[in-house]
Amino acid sequence: MGSLRNLLYYSFFLTYFLCVRCDDFKEELYIKPLPPTHLYSYFQFVTLVNSELSSFHSHLAPRSLAEVVSRFQVEELHLTLTEGQWRHHQWGYPVLDAAPGAELYAWFSPDVVDVDTQWKKLSATLSGLFCASLNFIDNFNTVTPQMALWPTGAVKSSQNITTQLRYASLPREIVCTENLTPWKKLLPCESSRGFSALLNSRMIHNTNYHSIGVHVRKVCKSNDCLETQLEFKQTVALVYDYDIISSNDWSFRKLFGQGLPGACPLSSDSKIYVDVTSNDTQSFTLTPPPDNVIVSQRGGSDTKLAVYNINPDGQMINIGVKYKSKPDLPVSVPPPLHFTRYILGYGKEFGGIVTEITNNLWTSINVVVLENAPWWLPIQLSSLRINGEAESSLVQSQYYSPGRSRQKPYHLELLMTLPPKSTTTITIDFEFVFLKWQEYPPDANHGFYVGSALISANLPTARNYTSVPITGSTFDSFVNASKTWYPIVFRTNGAMVSLPTPDFSMPYNVICLACTVVALAFGPLHNICTKELVLKPLGTPVSLTQKLLNLFKKKKD
Amino acid sequence: MGVILKYAVAGLVRYWLIHLDYWQTIANRVEIATPLNSWKRLMEGVYLYDHNIDPYEGDSFHESPIMLLFFYYIMKKVPFILPVLFTVMDLLTAHLLYKTSKAFIRFFKESQEKNLLEVAEESKPMLLEDKQLKESAEYVLSVYLFNPYSVLNCAGMTTTVVQNLLVATALWGASSGQRIVACVFIALATHQALYPLLLIVPIAILLAEINKGCTKCSYIRTLLVFVLSWGFLIYLSAYIMNGSYNYVYNTYGFILTVPDLKPNIGLFWYFFTEMFEHFRVLFVCAFQINALALYIVPLTLRFKREPVLLATVLIALSTIFRSYPCVGDVGFYLALLPMWKHLFTFMQQKFIVGCTFIITSALGPTVWHLWIYSGSANANFFFGVTLSFATAQIFLITDLLFAYIKREFTLKHGSSRQVDGKPAKLVLR
Repeated sequence: MGSLRNLLYYSFFLTYFLCVRCDDFKEELYIKPLPPTHLYSYFQFVTLVNSELSSFHSHLAPRSLAEVVSRFQVEELHLTLTEGQWRHHQWGYPVLDAAPGAELYAWFSPDVVDVDTQWKKLSATLSGLFCASLNFIDNFNTVTPQMALWPTGAVKSSQNITTQLRYASLPREIVCTENLTPWKKLLPCESSRGFSALLNSRMIHNTNYHSIGVHVRKVCKSNDCLETQLEFKQTVALVYDYDIISSNDWSFRKLFGQGLPGACPLSSDSKIYVDVTSNDTQSFTLTPPPDNVIVSQRGGSDTKLAVYNINPDGQMINIGVKYKSKPDLPVSVPPPLHFTRYILGYGKEFGGIVTEITNNLWTSINVVVLENAPWWLPIQLSSLRINGEAESSLVQSQYYSPGRSRQKPYHLELLMTLPPKSTTTITIDFEFVFLKWQEYPPDANHGFYVGSALISANLPTARNYTSVPITGSTFDSFVNASKTWYPIVFRTNGAMVSLPTPDFSMPYNVICLACTVVALAFGPLHNICTKELVLKPLGTPVSLTQKLLNLFKKKKD
Repeated sequence: MGVILKYAVAGLVRYWLIHLDYWQTIANRVEIATPLNSWKRLMEGVYLYDHNIDPYEGDSFHESPIMLLFFYYIMKKVPFILPVLFTVMDLLTAHLLYKTSKAFIRFFKESQEKNLLEVAEESKPMLLEDKQLKESAEYVLSVYLFNPYSVLNCAGMTTTVVQNLLVATALWGASSGQRIVACVFIALATHQALYPLLLIVPIAILLAEINKGCTKCSYIRTLLVFVLSWGFLIYLSAYIMNGSYNYVYNTYGFILTVPDLKPNIGLFWYFFTEMFEHFRVLFVCAFQINALALYIVPLTLRFKREPVLLATVLIALSTIFRSYPCVGDVGFYLALLPMWKHLFTFMQQKFIVGCTFIITSALGPTVWHLWIYSGSANANFFFGVTLSFATAQIFLITDLLFAYIKREFTLKHGSSRQVDGKPAKLVLR
């Protein structure tokens, strides 16, 4: 009797507890073949936390991250660790774009007065949490974007969000297993069950492109947005090359090294979406057959998605695709907007950065371009040319914050109108900087990474657009979500420059030689100023033995 | 007539070089343009000022606000005048140096006559005649007009052209006894580049000697006018920058702390590239004291009677040891040397110094190209060249001073090098 009462009591408590917390965890996997021979798989783990205040009693949400967010009063946070380069002109657009290396940006709450200190503390804490070199984020590589970035979450319309924003990227950062392991620990099922069991570092670091990310934002609970929820979204984007898995037929076992051991029992929804739009032209079969196929019409492009609902029954699932015949290479449709970035010039004295943006649409489009040059790459605003013109009519608005050596990066933002069917070239010159010998990283002749430029645009068409709409958090909201504008922020490819190096083995020699030259001046000048000229009779020339004797004689004296 | 021809030819050469296709190359040469004086940086500063961005917020502009405003108005109103302006400024500098040397000759003759009694009988033929003295003024003009260092400096349109003009005006003002002109212009030069600060000492002595009367009062008056005008310029600059004194960090601060380690012909760049971080402050202080304060007191005490020699030596030493020297500075003091033509016979290292100047001037651009463009040399090569260039300059200056004291000795004691009939040699004791 007593045990029954206990059981009732506990179950009541448990339901009460769960109802109050009402944490909601969903996991999703989106797979899309990319032209010409690549496969994109995108994992998304979304945790919604109802009451944002008591983050110290988290249920499914990662407590360590929730603590960081509440401690540093972060409104919205985006952290990505990426290896490889997304090829926009070939592959179309990813669900979430990320800069190569590490990228972190966050909006702080308006209550935070000293944003810079808070930002440094935040990056240092995240550095420990993800075993990444985010502690190298400092004032000299942080910018405050004025136009390029906007919060994706719910913010009060009255608040000044720009001053609370900080952005930094570390293009040199190398992403590896040590970042993935702590990232997996934030998930409620860790890597034992659910989709995250597929993330074997042995397999996923073999890809052409991989990016892990953590995104925290506030979302509205209801339409009137009186209450907000905290959304933790953890993402992994992988691009496989068919050449690496050595056939066009893919399966979970080929991609991830094992099948899927069921859904995470704590998730309320576990779904796999496979983009089968290309099945119309190149027929293949999905095994096992999907639970249903949905057709999404969005912004003038149709997408067919095969959907699998995964149950937490622990049964191994191995989804795969088999082509009926050897498929032809698909023709890639160029996306509405694509871009490249490269370095001009030869030698190590003067150079230039070129950003080329191509607008394939029949309408003109407004974009914001953020050029973020580190302090050791001083750009000259007077050399800014757009399509070769100094004062271009394409520029609607411009923001420039000049850099300072070892203190502040160079930050240029341009709001531009790209004419229809055109390529716009932005050129800016820079001068190479000679660093102190201890400021060069190990292997100084490897080169220095220049971070990517940000390009922020509102696309009028959803062609190649795969992002989840801003109001939704899962792929359900993707279906038939036609809007007037499709906002997106791109990262261009990074670049590399080779700075002139000193001879690192020379410090003592240089100090000695330069001081000798100074002494060469000091000695004679000292003599001239303190001594006077006298005539001294020359003795008869003395033999060597005499000289030696003289030496001894002097000593005796 | 000959003089006018010289001006015309020199002006045409400068004007032609500015309009040459290679102008960019000249203006970007590391030996000609430093972060402090390059035309590119001036353009950037003016551009930022024009776009309402504070040029001193960033790290790209290190000129004084007065220069900024001056070039801002010229570029806004009459940009086409700039090549002519730079040429005229450089010719004006040459002319002022010419006038200074003429005044100096007058001055020299007076002191020669005054000290006639001290001269030994057998040294009388060594005294200078009018013809020899007149020649040296012509040489000063020619050297400034046709020295490749000065020509390239002007063709590169560096702000050193302006600085040379200011210093030349100050020297001319001092040699013609115009206290206000001398003090205001040396204050302007100091405001621009800090190192001309040293010159206030020879200028004060020169003014005191020319304007006869109470010497101490003259010193005090000169110093007062200088400090007041310098202070006014500092205030005026802040007024231009809307009351902000931030520009001080980007002008004086930049000169003193040497944050930009781009190679130049000086000693600082590689030394502070290779410096251990915890010794940096110590050595920055040591090197700046060496350039600014170390030699002024002893040299003043020793050469009090020769303020023009003192000025020449101080200009040369501050050029060798300043943080961002360029060939324009070297060209300026080389033009002053022909005033001391009568000392050349007493100099011992003329040949070595001359050869080193020629070799380093040819070798510098070569090893720079090898290091930066073809990647087949490294920084040590260029450092070696700058080091020997500095050594040559030091030899030149110390040799000049030795020559001066040797001549002084010879005038007093005759040219025989014998003591009691035995052969002897001159030594310092």
